[in-house]
This record gives sequence, C-alpha cells and structure tokens, in this order.
Amino acid sequence: MSESTPNLESNSDNLAGIEPYQHLYVVIEHEEGIPVPVSLEMLGEARRLMDDFNTKYSSNEKVVAVVLGDNVRHLCEDLIKSGADAVVYANNPSLRYYTNLLYTKIICQIAEDKNVARSISPLSSENFKKPRYMFFSADNTGRHLSSTVMAQLESGLASDINKLVISDLEIRHEHKTKGQVTKYEKTLEMYRPDFSGFLWTTILCLDNRNPSIAREYHPQSCSIIPGVFEPIAKEDERTGTIIEFEPQISHEDLRVKVLSRNIIKSTIDFESCKIIVSYGRGIRDSPEENFKLIEQFAKSLNAEIGISLPISKRPYQTKDQHLLSYMIPERVIGTSGRKVSPVVYIAIGISGAIQHLAGMKESGFVVVINPDADAAFRDECDLFIKGRMEQVLPVLTELIKKRMLTIEKRA
Amino acid sequence: MPVRPLNVGVIVKLEPDFSEGNVSYNPDGTLNRAETKNILGPHSAAATLAAFYCKVKYDARVAIGTMGPPIANQALKQAQIISNADELHLYSDRIFAGADTLATAEVLRLGVSRMNNGLGADIVISGHRASDGETGQTGPQTAWKLGYPFIGNVIDFQIDQENRSIHAKRFILLYGFYDVIEEIQAPLPVFISADPSYKPSFDTVSERLSLARNLNEARSKAENFEKYLQVYNSEALGADPRFVGLPGSPTIVYKVEKIPKAKAKRRVEFIDGNDTAQLDMAAEKLLQLMTEAPIK
Repeated sequence: MSESTPNLESNSDNLAGIEPYQHLYVVIEHEEGIPVPVSLEMLGEARRLMDDFNTKYSSNEKVVAVVLGDNVRHLCEDLIKSGADAVVYANNPSLRYYTNLLYTKIICQIAEDKNVARSISPLSSENFKKPRYMFFSADNTGRHLSSTVMAQLESGLASDINKLVISDLEIRHEHKTKGQVTKYEKTLEMYRPDFSGFLWTTILCLDNRNPSIAREYHPQSCSIIPGVFEPIAKEDERTGTIIEFEPQISHEDLRVKVLSRNIIKSTIDFESCKIIVSYGRGIRDSPEENFKLIEQFAKSLNAEIGISLPISKRPYQTKDQHLLSYMIPERVIGTSGRKVSPVVYIAIGISGAIQHLAGMKESGFVVVINPDADAAFRDECDLFIKGRMEQVLPVLTELIKKRMLTIEKRA
Repeated sequence: MPVRPLNVGVIVKLEPDFSEGNVSYNPDGTLNRAETKNILGPHSAAATLAAFYCKVKYDARVAIGTMGPPIANQALKQAQIISNADELHLYSDRIFAGADTLATAEVLRLGVSRMNNGLGADIVISGHRASDGETGQTGPQTAWKLGYPFIGNVIDFQIDQENRSIHAKRFILLYGFYDVIEEIQAPLPVFISADPSYKPSFDTVSERLSLARNLNEARSKAENFEKYLQVYNSEALGADPRFVGLPGSPTIVYKVEKIPKAKAKRRVEFIDGNDTAQLDMAAEKLLQLMTEAPIK
C-alpha cells in the first residue's frame, strides 16, 4: 500500500492525512522499566487491527505506544519490536511513579500535540486534533487513567474489552443521528463481557451527527482486560520512529505525592502450589458444610483455595469467620483477580464465565466438578466429573488419602 | 483557632442485590433484573463507611448523592443508616436516563457542588466499581470534572485538618507482578475511591464514644430519612441538556448478544461422580500429575 491509495473517506478532503483524528495510541504501563504483560498484549492487538486498517483504508495511520517514566528510553526499541510503529516517551523524575493527576495531564498533552502527530506520520497535518483510537489496560492503573484522560479529552470510553473490530457501520439512533440512517466509517466495535460472563455488549463511541447536539467524540477508546489478547512474536527487524516528548509540568500538577511504595507478598500463594482448588456459587445449598468438604479435599491434595468473583461479594449469610476469610477479593481467580497456571486446576461448582476462564486457562490439567454437564466449563477442561459436590468430594477425598498413604508407605 | 469543619461527599449507586436468595438468574445464566431486588451496592457501602469514618473521627458533615430514578432513594436511606449522613441528594430527571459514564459524571459533578449547604466537599468518596455496570469509570471522571485529584483503591486514610491534607494508603494489584501498597499525600480537596477491602478502625476511647453516638443518631435519622432528602432535577442542578443523558453520552450500546462458546481447546473426558471406580481413576490421575510435576 502506498500514499496514493484512493481514499475511501466521503468528506471533501482527498488525502487521508488531512483527517483530524489519526492513529491508534496505546498507553503502556510498566513496573520499574519492565512492561506489564497487558501492555504487550494491547500492542499485539493494535498491530493486528492496524495491519487490516492500513490495507483497507490508509497506510498513513500508525500504532503509537505512549510511555511515561523517569528512565524509559530503553523501552522504546522493545515496544517497536512488539508492534508499535512509533513510540512517544516522556522522561521526568516526577514521572517515576504513576499519579493519576500528572499522568493524565501528560498523556493528554501528547494526545493533542500536532508536532508529535507530524513526527509519527508526515502526512498528519495542521488539522490533527486527537488520536482516532486509544487503548488502556483494564487494571487498577489503566482503569482510572483511561477515565480521567477521556474526561479531559471529552470522549467516550468502554471498559473491560475482550474483542475489537474496526468496520464501517450504518447507524440509526434517536439522538446520535436524529433517527436518520448514517454511515460511520472506521468505527471501533468494542466488545465487553458483562458481569455475568454470558452476555457480550458491543459499545461504540460515535460523533453526534444530529445538528441540534452536534459534537465530535474522538478518540474512540477502551480499557482492555489483561490476559485476553496475544502479544505478537517480537520481530528484531521491525523499525519505527522514537519521539521524545518534553512534558509541561506545573507546580499544581505535582500536588499528589507518592511518599512510599512497598511491595507486598500476597498471603495467598497461588504461585508455588501445584494444585489450586476453586469454588463458586455451586456451594449455595449449604455454604458452611460444602466449604468444609472443599477445604478437606484441598488439604488432601496440599492445594491452595481460590474462588470465583461472585463469592468475593459474600452472597451468603454466614457468621462462620473461617468461611468468610475464604470469601475475599485476594482469592478471586479471573480477570477481576489473579491469573494462575498451576499443574492442576480443579473448579468446583463454577459455571465457567469468561472472566473466570481467562484467569485459569493456562493451567496444565483442568478438572471440573459440576452436576450440570452443559456448564460452559465443559469446553475448557480435561476431566469433567458430573455430580454434586456433596456426593463427589467426600468419596474423592478418601480415595486420595488412601492412595497417598500407599505412596508414603512405599517411600 | 478552631479548625474548619470537614465536608464530605459520597456518590453511591442502587444496584441489583447479588446475594443468595435475592438474586435471580435466567436459565441462560444472565441476570433476571425483574426478579432481583435492588440495594445500596457493596462498593457504595464501602465508600459510605469511609464517610462514616470521617464523621466519627473528624466530626465531618456528610452528604450522600446518587443519580437515578425515585426508587434510588432506597440506596440513600441505607447509606444514611451506615454513615449518619446529614444530607441525602437524589439527582433525578427523565433526561438523565441512558447516560454513559461521562454524562453521569456531569450530573454528579453538579450534584457535589450543591452538597453541604452549597459548600461542596473537601473529600468526595466513591466505590471501586458498581456490581452491575462494573466500569469503575464514573468516580474518576467525576473527580476530573470537579478538578479534584483522584486517588484510587484507598484502603486507609487520615485527614490533617490543620494543614488541610490527606494521607492515604492505596492497594495496587499489578497483573503478572507483585502487589504494591503506596502511601500518598495530597492537599484537599481530593476525590478517593474506597478499595473493596476498605475497613475503618476506631481505636481511641473518644472515637468509640463518638462511634456509639453516631450509630444511634444514624438509626433515628434514617427513620425519617425523607427529612434529609433533597431531590434535584436537571433544572435545579443547572445542567446543560446537551451534556447529560443520551445526548451527552459519547458511547452507545450497539448490540447485546450471548457470548458464543469458545472452540474447545481441551479434549474433555466425562466421568460419573457417583461411580467410585471412576473417581478412583481420577484420584490416581491427580496424584500422578502432582508427584510427576517438578517443584515450582
């Protein structure tokens, strides 16, 4: 593809480069100079989407990684090898640790900077206003950062996305188009699994084309669930543009101070245990008794205990403090909690919502205990024990104990 | 010189009650909204507890606001029982309906500025995210529109009333890395979101006395919660109709579908949970995997 590709835009401008909204900006998160995994996953998906975009619409629009810190220049080449066409970085001692206020300001400065846009692609003109698309991670940092950046840029944001498509859509909407069928080109379809894990909602960020409320909403942006997209295999021969950005920082922007930062080890060790036993809403019939069975079963296998997200909301009335200590966010496996990959993962009374699966799908061998043979988990497990936990667990625990005893005797 | 009183604002949401016995699911696993009761969301309750902490410890004035239909006043009543709030605000107007997070934040921004007899708030507190919407965007967007710095995932905080500043601890979960506890300092006003694990503690004798007094007051206030309720429509808030509700929402829901089942990546073997012989084979397999695997 070359710059002489006929432009598919219906507006009066003939060059794709004249459009005010261009490129896909990906906000990179790193921990002390090491990119967090979701950053490379986002770059991978951005690369795939923009490869298609470059073929279908225009080769001028780029994948742009944005990275802030106090010593992040060394990250840039790696981000290019991981899919970026350009990297915009800002180095400043006050950017060492994320504070929402300062990071929001600087990211917005970068997003609205015409010189940055021109360095990314010479065809970005004076017309450049903002990025066309923007990606953030849906973690503790990116969730808040995406919100405040979009509040400042006054555009729309979808959270917790796990599928993305760029297409031309015909939209008829009471407000957006005043009921008229209107074509929206290069629209980002953002798919979001809802809290149940069974419904997919597609969110669009659309300009108001209705004259009485006319407004442009760009960038079209989203936060992306960690662990759902594949990074691309690093290509050493990939080249790109590296752009240093000089941030404008005022005294006011520095009023939130990070006094200290301490790494804490979780009291729950999902990393070093070979087996994880997780339970979900299936314990509902008698939570206390069922939990005792689960705990004995886990003990027989020397396993750590995890839970599905609904359990962390403590949906059962119980005064059992011991059970309550096993219904905490720290134990959640899935996109709202931990990502684990034990040798064996055993899911008891968990239906297999997509958010949960994302947190355990890299486990070695997966066992499901569930009375419902049609549970969504059936397609994500190696062994499906069809039965009620009240019946299965006592028998299985005893069988394991017996076999353990034999092994120990032999040893 | 007496310190300036502390004004606290909380934004909350009425949400489906996901607790067992109250939640109802359709056969396909989706929420049955018609059959499910609504309550003050658990994350909203955590935010309300943080306001109660300010009430007990700093004798703060507390205002609680929510955007929603008239029924959302139930969330305000529950929040008053938790926090002994002095003001309850319901921001309710047909034109607010269908708002996305940006258009909701616009209403809440206007609401917060009317809290505490029009003085606004030195600290605004929100929950981590709603149980149904789950975006976690409304809090930070309201903060930004107010011009308040946003501090998320707060697990503990103290206010220095003389210096008008907050000292907060926040919990950060880094996916693929360790967890981090960060200590933050910032001048008031600020906007914080309470981490789901937030729990206030009251240590001194005077705090415990204040706790008991406030709990009593909260109960009697909530019995007449309408007395504390102020209802604001779009006009009373001075909202620009172009920036609220559907017209003010950049995003739309384009479609909703069932998530198609992923292609099976594993070859599943079914066994009967009532068959001891089959279970024993499962036990054998598990122990084999366990003993063969290298120690991590």
